[in-house]
Amino acid sequence: MRQTFLRTALATVALGMAGVLYGFPLYWLFVTSLKSKAELFASSVHLIPHNPTFAAYTSVLIERGFWVLLKNSVIVCFSTVVVTLALGLLITYPITRLPVPPRLRVNILIWALSLRFLPPIAVVIPYFAIVRTLQLYDQPIALIGIYSLFNLPFAIWMLKGFLDEIPIELEDAALVDGASRWIAFRRVLLPLAAPGVMAAGIIVFTFAWSEFLFALILTATPNSQTFPVGVQGLVTQFEIIWNDMAASGVIAMALPLVLMVIGRRYIVAGLTFGVIREK
Amino acid sequence: MIRSSPNLPAPHAPQAERAGRRRLSRDERLAYLLLLPALGAVFVIVTIPFVLVLIQSVSADDGTLIGLRNYTRALGNPLLYDAIRATGVYSVIVLPIEILLGLSFALLVHRTVRWPGVRAAIYVLAILPLVVPPVAIGVVARLVYAPSYGVLNVILERVGLTHHEVNWLGDPTLAMLAVASVDIWQWTPFVYLVLFSGLQTVPRESVEAAQIDGADWWAQFRFIDLFYLRPLFLLIIFFRLADVLRVFDHVFILTGGGPGTTTQLLSLYIYRVEFKFFDSGQAAALAVLVLVSFSILYRLISRALPLERT
Repeated sequence: MRQTFLRTALATVALGMAGVLYGFPLYWLFVTSLKSKAELFASSVHLIPHNPTFAAYTSVLIERGFWVLLKNSVIVCFSTVVVTLALGLLITYPITRLPVPPRLRVNILIWALSLRFLPPIAVVIPYFAIVRTLQLYDQPIALIGIYSLFNLPFAIWMLKGFLDEIPIELEDAALVDGASRWIAFRRVLLPLAAPGVMAAGIIVFTFAWSEFLFALILTATPNSQTFPVGVQGLVTQFEIIWNDMAASGVIAMALPLVLMVIGRRYIVAGLTFGVIREK
Repeated sequence: MIRSSPNLPAPHAPQAERAGRRRLSRDERLAYLLLLPALGAVFVIVTIPFVLVLIQSVSADDGTLIGLRNYTRALGNPLLYDAIRATGVYSVIVLPIEILLGLSFALLVHRTVRWPGVRAAIYVLAILPLVVPPVAIGVVARLVYAPSYGVLNVILERVGLTHHEVNWLGDPTLAMLAVASVDIWQWTPFVYLVLFSGLQTVPRESVEAAQIDGADWWAQFRFIDLFYLRPLFLLIIFFRLADVLRVFDHVFILTGGGPGTTTQLLSLYIYRVEFKFFDSGQAAALAVLVLVSFSILYRLISRALPLERT
């Protein structure tokens, strides 16, 4: 009895501390984004804003023109999702549904896993030269290409997991009834796999949304710069405007957090290549 | 390539057998038809840069071949060893702390929190940091550690623990700890989530049997839980190592590698060689060295992974 009480107390204290360590920095980010310029220059730092205002958000999105970067981010991430899922299905459909030698199947999976270990910085150096030669520098398509490549391993492992779970007999029944493979894929498999494909799409979108190194190197102007590059610009400039910087941080976080609500059951599966599955 | 060709000779077999076999070969052909373009494209996209960087690493800026001179320059640069040391220190701080903290929380929640609602809430909250862009987390860290506006100093002074501003990002040791703390903040929940779901697979019967035998919580952990968690530790180390060795974003935002070169991790160093010093020969040599050493590391570590390979 006494031990249970002690344990509960320990758990409460530990979780409470974790809550503060996670909650307070995020609170500080949000609160700073609500401050006015005048309040930032006040002699003492206010932990609670005195006159909350959304001025920093309009300053970032409109006066600094970051809405263009936001638009670029959405275009790049959405295209990345489409390309990655298409490639992922092209690869996982045969290895889960068609008679492929087991060795080939295993090699594809292992190879996809090894891409996960590939350090982006080592790849971006030759990729930068290629992009410049092809005159794709500062074009969204350069980002879409490399994002799709780097997200493909996740997509392959996740889609493979989802497709493996769908009984092959359902398609066989459709095939016996005279449906073509394409019809069986579109009318039987795809609807059943839709939640998994959606989840993989959400995860790829979130990863692409967060990506910074490639975007920093392969873009130069608002023609193709993504939002994280804009955020970086606010941080590394000579005099930091705290409220603008905080507002840009909040905006960068907002979309992944919303998507996370939809895809929460699959995030851990995605991060561990489907080893950990939530029921 | 040959197998996907449409001129594949049809098997000449007796009628009954033929139908079955033809069906199989058609499926096989379809498989290769789907796989080849996708895999081919990816293979080309992966291989061409590698070949290119290899060529770049043995040429001068004007394209003449200069042998291994770029490599000797890259390996002779003391900044490289600073970067390797910084990456090593970073990993040695970050990985054990994340694993220990994640494990402690997983055990704590697993053993004490019974109410499903609270567990679900913790699950969602733990996912939150994982999906947030590292750049945004770098911004948060700036707001915490920066001089003049950083809230950590404000709080420490109000509580009365310090009387002058601590220069978190200006002191070599503190800057490394600050940068590491960001990684720990973002990724401990990942360790927690993996280990917590691992603990759910521990069969109740063996725990109950051990409790009847009088096992205390440590014995329970040591002899039962750990057995089920062991493969997951390997998994965590694999994924965390892959990430820790490529860390760039939040360090770039928070310290930019400074003060001096104390937090200039390997990625930041290579970035600087290529895009600040514009020394593409040396950068290419570094890229090749990194690719080679990482593939060796990958070989060593991936064999032990508990991934299903069927």
